[in-house]
Amino acid sequence: MCSACGFPPAIGHWTDAGGDTAHDRLRIRFARVALLNDLLKPLGLGARDLGSQPGIQVFNAMGQTRICQTVEEVWAQVEAFTGKPFDPLEIA
Amino acid sequence: MADEDNRLKLTILGGFLGAGKSTWLRHQLFVGAYDAPHVIVNEVASHAVDDTLLAGARELDVLAGGCVCCDLRDEMIALLHRICNLRSRKQAAPQTRHLVFEMSGIADPGQVMTAIQDDPILARHIALEEIIVLVDALHGLEQLKAETLARAQIEAADRIVITKTDACNEASLAELTATLRQINPAQAFQAAVFGVEQALLDLPPATPAALPALDGDATLPPPTSLPLDLKQFGAGGDIWVGFSIWLSAMLHTHGDHLVRVKGVVRTPGGRLLLQSVRMVMQAPERIPTDHGGDRSSDDTIVLIGRGLDPERITHSLRRSIEMTSS
Repeated sequence: MCSACGFPPAIGHWTDAGGDTAHDRLRIRFARVALLNDLLKPLGLGARDLGSQPGIQVFNAMGQTRICQTVEEVWAQVEAFTGKPFDPLEIA
Repeated sequence: MADEDNRLKLTILGGFLGAGKSTWLRHQLFVGAYDAPHVIVNEVASHAVDDTLLAGARELDVLAGGCVCCDLRDEMIALLHRICNLRSRKQAAPQTRHLVFEMSGIADPGQVMTAIQDDPILARHIALEEIIVLVDALHGLEQLKAETLARAQIEAADRIVITKTDACNEASLAELTATLRQINPAQAFQAAVFGVEQALLDLPPATPAALPALDGDATLPPPTSLPLDLKQFGAGGDIWVGFSIWLSAMLHTHGDHLVRVKGVVRTPGGRLLLQSVRMVMQAPERIPTDHGGDRSSDDTIVLIGRGLDPERITHSLRRSIEMTSS
């Protein structure tokens, strides 16, 4: 229970909603970070999810790393690293 | 997660100045359309008149003297916090179960949704049920031609109610309907006179009125609707990662062009109802599997937006899903 809002812990970002059990949620996180890596590789970026702690780490070739709490923040960070928004329509 | 169904249902009622929002709402309250409603009325004028019309509400709050999407934003958030707070206390009976928010005539419902989603407390307490936008059958077309805001309101609507249809001839009603359909292709239409629902008779075919370009949206074509059948990409839960990553990137990068996204997706965690207004995705609502009813629309997502290229969209989504399964 969260003492600020009186509800059980965060419902989180909408992309986190797909899993019901802890197992499913973890599996989804790892599948997600694998996909992010495939998508970000051509841009010279990478992603990492430790599983044991919240957040997705996004890093560039220089090793600069940022922790993003949601997938939405990942896209904002990718934009900050590369200087332009990631365009999903260009997924080859 | 289990508490999602416990959230307050929110109905947003919008429409241009004088569209008949209060009249319509008064009748809905009179016939008991909402379960234990708490009504919030927003007025631009500093002296509220409309609230006297709404005696049927169990509880009523007025936000007067400005518009909630700009001047009164903080007041609106504070009021919603107070309502959610009261609701969390066990003693506060009888409970409010439905929040009906009548917007001022110059408010954009999309902005209010953004404000609620951005607030960590409200996002957990309030679930949007429907955005209803009222259009005046007599003046609606003029407003659409002249006001960017009137168009923005229509774009955000789940349901459009055309009011004062008794005072309007069939040909102009048909033209209005065709124009509305062009702006927001996916919504349902209703007609109402003094809040009482009327049958929208078969209208003669009409060409939508040409909408002149206004400041700020000079080059924007009307939005089109693109249904995406997710079943073609793979079975059930396997597509969720590929789909959600793809859609979140779409909303981030092309959110300005995606007016709405709506649909039910099957995931390992159950059936999720997704809906977005502009760039903001609502916290997904879980639909019980034993809900019965029509499931044929499962795994179909409707994108409504401008300049959507069906081929590129389908191809990139397919790639995104394939990459997760390989």
